[in-house]
Amino acid sequence: MNIIELKNVCFAYNSSEVIRNLSCTFKESMLTGIIGPNGAGKSTLLRIIGGILTKFQGEVLILGEDLKEIKPLKRAEKIGFVPQETNFTLNYRVEDIVAMGRYPYLKPFKSLGREDLLAVEEALECTELTEFRKRPILSLSAGERQRVIIARALAQRPRILLLDEPTSHLDLHHQWTIMEILKNLTTQKMTVIIVHHDLNLASLYCSHLLLMSEGRIYAQGTPIEIITPENLKNVYKTEIEIIFHPVKKIPQVLMK
Amino acid sequence: MKKFLVIILFFLAIVTDIIAGPGEFSYPILQIRISRIILGIFAGGILAFSGNILQGLFGNPLVEPYTLGSASGAALGASIGIILLGGPSPLFAFAGALLSGMFVYSVARIEGGLLRDRLILAGVVISFLCSSLVMIIMVLGRKELYEIIYLLMGYLGIIITPENRLIIIVTIILSFIMVLYLFRFYREFDIISTGVENAIGLGIDVQNFSRLVFAITTLLIGFVVSLVGAIGFVGLVIPHISRILFGPKHLNNLPASFLLGAIFLLFADTISRTLTVYELPVGVVTSLVGVPFFIYLYKK
Repeated sequence: MNIIELKNVCFAYNSSEVIRNLSCTFKESMLTGIIGPNGAGKSTLLRIIGGILTKFQGEVLILGEDLKEIKPLKRAEKIGFVPQETNFTLNYRVEDIVAMGRYPYLKPFKSLGREDLLAVEEALECTELTEFRKRPILSLSAGERQRVIIARALAQRPRILLLDEPTSHLDLHHQWTIMEILKNLTTQKMTVIIVHHDLNLASLYCSHLLLMSEGRIYAQGTPIEIITPENLKNVYKTEIEIIFHPVKKIPQVLMK
Repeated sequence: MKKFLVIILFFLAIVTDIIAGPGEFSYPILQIRISRIILGIFAGGILAFSGNILQGLFGNPLVEPYTLGSASGAALGASIGIILLGGPSPLFAFAGALLSGMFVYSVARIEGGLLRDRLILAGVVISFLCSSLVMIIMVLGRKELYEIIYLLMGYLGIIITPENRLIIIVTIILSFIMVLYLFRFYREFDIISTGVENAIGLGIDVQNFSRLVFAITTLLIGFVVSLVGAIGFVGLVIPHISRILFGPKHLNNLPASFLLGAIFLLFADTISRTLTVYELPVGVVTSLVGVPFFIYLYKK
């Protein structure tokens, strides 16, 4: 089932066109990776689906409903968004930030209920942050902070989770942890879409890839269909060699 | 314990401001001092409360009514009001604050958010412009020079007359209602302080919400400046002190900011009336006392 559908979407920052007449669909319970060179429009596409950028042309349907017609709070119950970077200016505790994920479900002056506390607890556990829960956010490393934001999005309990380069600040172990978490979420009926620069990680974990170039979709399909020397050479303008992962038999990229 | 101490300090500040000062204690003096105390609580509380909200809203610890230009705009509007109406004019002050605020906001706005550095820059630029215009007004309207000087330096001793009593009471009551209204958004302020994209992702219509909050805080600043003048420093520093003492959550530190702002301004008023034979402008005292205290707290 298509959980997200984009029809002829165009978007421009001032006069420069970033997304050009783009149409595509995203299937339910899949981990989809959006890849492509800098300036291809990956993050812009994610921000359009997440409701961050609203002045686009065309149509975006979320579970058959027009995104522009969905009220922000209702949208937040369906879609969780993890931005590329979060600059914290105030020193909240980790658990307070994760609890912010329950905002769409709370009325003013109403404290967290049982369901909310459970969602926060699960999100902390899922991202291995339980021991950090009382720590001030500014005392954490960039990678740990990124996990906190992911935990907050999980506490939202959305059906769709959008992440813009979620592993960019993480070490190997936490890259693996986060990608495993995201993969597991798809088994719980969550649709996960990530923008990724790491082609190897995207190839290893994503079941579907969307290769973007100059605001359009250049190709889409399984990693084996997309990660080919021709596709990557045409899009990245770089000579690339492909080898296959010895265990998972998935294409991996080597620079020549 | 900290909450308890703040409440004790609040009452101590009120009592000190009532009893301290030269001259024999009499009923008229008590009346004057009570009106100063009400204005002190009103102005100190609102400046700190608004500063706290604006710092969170724009994710910038340097933001306050002064750095955003609204206080200077309000001072310009209030000066024009003094020339035209001869007394406190909250609507003129609000119009000045709103115009300068709108200028700053439009310069900093981009699709999906605000450029925070540009916000401060535009605020500083508009402050300079407003200050120059106020000086032109001072040169042209020499009769009202004294009133405008006190407006620029901050003064809690506004003389309440039968003509201005109603406008002062209505301004103060309206301001308290707006403070309570803004407080109900404590959760939104928490979330927005972690970034615009995070807030939109959590279902907050950041653009409209920011506009609403910006308009209300601008109105509040306009009201404060029209009654007690432009008192600097309170809106910048008290929110920081409040966060150091009560943490970053707006549920706790917004009421704390209000009380600490009021306490700070009442003590500053006591000092301004008792330190020398002549009464010092309270804005001068807030900076003189506040700066070393702030540095001490941060070093600690």
